[in-house]
Amino acid sequence: MISEQFFNKWIWFLLLITPICGLIFDEPYYITLATKVIILGIAGIGLNLALGYCGLISFGHAAFFGIGGYVTAIMSYHAINNEILFSWPFDIFGSSDMLIIWPLAILISAFLSLIIGLLSLRTSGVYFIMITLAFAQMLYFFSISWPNYGGEDGLSIYMRNSLPMLNTMNPLTFYLICLSWLSTSIYVSYKLINSPFGMAFQAIKQNEERVKSVGIETFKVKLLIFVISGAITGLAGSLYTDLNRFVSPSVLDWQTSGEIMVFVILGGIARLYGPLIGAAFFIILEQTLGAYTENWQFWLGLILILEILYARTGIMGLFDKKKKYEK
Amino acid sequence: MKNKILNIKNLSKSYGAFKVTDEIAIDLNFNEIHALIGPNGAGKSTLIKQIVGSVKHDIGSIILDQEDITDLTDIERAKIGISRTFQVSSIIPKFTALENIILSLLNKSNNTFQLFKSLKENRELHSKAKKILIDIDLDSKTDEIASELSHGDRRKLEVGLALAMEPKVFLFDEPMAGLDENGTKMMIDLFKKIKVNSPILLIEHDMEAVFALADRVSVIVYGKIVATGTVKEIKSNDLVRDVYLGYEI
Repeated sequence: MISEQFFNKWIWFLLLITPICGLIFDEPYYITLATKVIILGIAGIGLNLALGYCGLISFGHAAFFGIGGYVTAIMSYHAINNEILFSWPFDIFGSSDMLIIWPLAILISAFLSLIIGLLSLRTSGVYFIMITLAFAQMLYFFSISWPNYGGEDGLSIYMRNSLPMLNTMNPLTFYLICLSWLSTSIYVSYKLINSPFGMAFQAIKQNEERVKSVGIETFKVKLLIFVISGAITGLAGSLYTDLNRFVSPSVLDWQTSGEIMVFVILGGIARLYGPLIGAAFFIILEQTLGAYTENWQFWLGLILILEILYARTGIMGLFDKKKKYEK
Repeated sequence: MKNKILNIKNLSKSYGAFKVTDEIAIDLNFNEIHALIGPNGAGKSTLIKQIVGSVKHDIGSIILDQEDITDLTDIERAKIGISRTFQVSSIIPKFTALENIILSLLNKSNNTFQLFKSLKENRELHSKAKKILIDIDLDSKTDEIASELSHGDRRKLEVGLALAMEPKVFLFDEPMAGLDENGTKMMIDLFKKIKVNSPILLIEHDMEAVFALADRVSVIVYGKIVATGTVKEIKSNDLVRDVYLGYEI
């Protein structure tokens, strides 16, 4: 049986070898598919911080994913059409520069998660699930009824946003950009979960009452991790819009929240690489079973049921002898 | 008044017509262990919950070190120096014994919101936590997962969590329940040592331990304090013997 650490090294090997194989076999589609896995993995890594490590069962992370996507598309749309984005208090134009779009997407997603967190973290359990879901659905219906940016039809941006000295339309280049964001997200998560702050939010998941009794302000801890989680998921949304050169209200739909949650559960809750493996497994299922039947999600459901019954630690947990998060 | 670190006046709490605590007045002096005894359901644990702020009282006031803390939240009270143990062990089950203690040290050392510093490299926190584990006789179980500790060891860990906060007062809710003879003796010695810096309000059913430790004892029955005095006074109080201690002591 190989260990989790050894398996993590294999993941990096696969991430590096995949584009090389795509180039050798002249199959850029596989590079694009791997890019999609990475982006969805980043979204899952964001959710995993809140759900996996802190026990905040957010069913509204589509809001952050979608807002990151819409910020990217709207900025790009205004830049391409040379239209003013805001004219008050001074003229603000759009931008197709990723160096401007990324920080903006992260900041706006973080701000949105701050607002949602401030209101929803006063509740817990099923109420928290419902209130986060409600916020995401509010944004979903708002996007549908917003004709300026495509409404129900979504918004195309024709060209991927740019990065100085790089051709982002090249699948390999964009793959490497996303890979560098993946490694940053994993590094940030790793540092967080091994910090004093990480100890606090992991303890809250297990026994919030005890954490309060030792004088730790649990609301602030939960709010901060929720904001960081939302910001990472928002970044993934931004990359996803650039990957597809398109954004639509479906990224804000509850189904997106559910899919991000599935990545986390499939790969392994509170496992650093779990959401990435979950996303890869999801995409592989979609591609393989989807070729045979439109109802491939039936089989996904069956796998999820089996996992919850017999292997709660997820795919990554199969490599952990201690099974730390089994219960 | 200056001798009192904790002063509770007229504290009451009712659930409908049922009075859980009824105009409780109790204080805690410096360098003192004040035991609170009484039958099950008398309101002892509810009183602890009211002092720490997890149960809101209807009327009354709580003064800690000459500061009125009546309107503070439970977290604010913990931060300014009220440390408690729970009646049923309340620990972080998947953390090791050492990690549990470190968690309790975070607030005092202003480390909670350090986002990117490695906890493993914080030698100060580790050495402080290890010292506390020695004090509670758990140094041989530093790396054991808390949920896998025996019941007695979990009780000790509870006390360790309280110790780590370096509070102004300790509120111990049956800390010796389930401990063997050695464990109880260790706790008695430990409590005698720590009361010098932080006095203790102690709820305990082990009367031998109470009589060995307490400087003063209060007896609570149906939410009311019916007697307060030294061990000798309480032992000879007819009302206390009638309602709680019996006549064999």
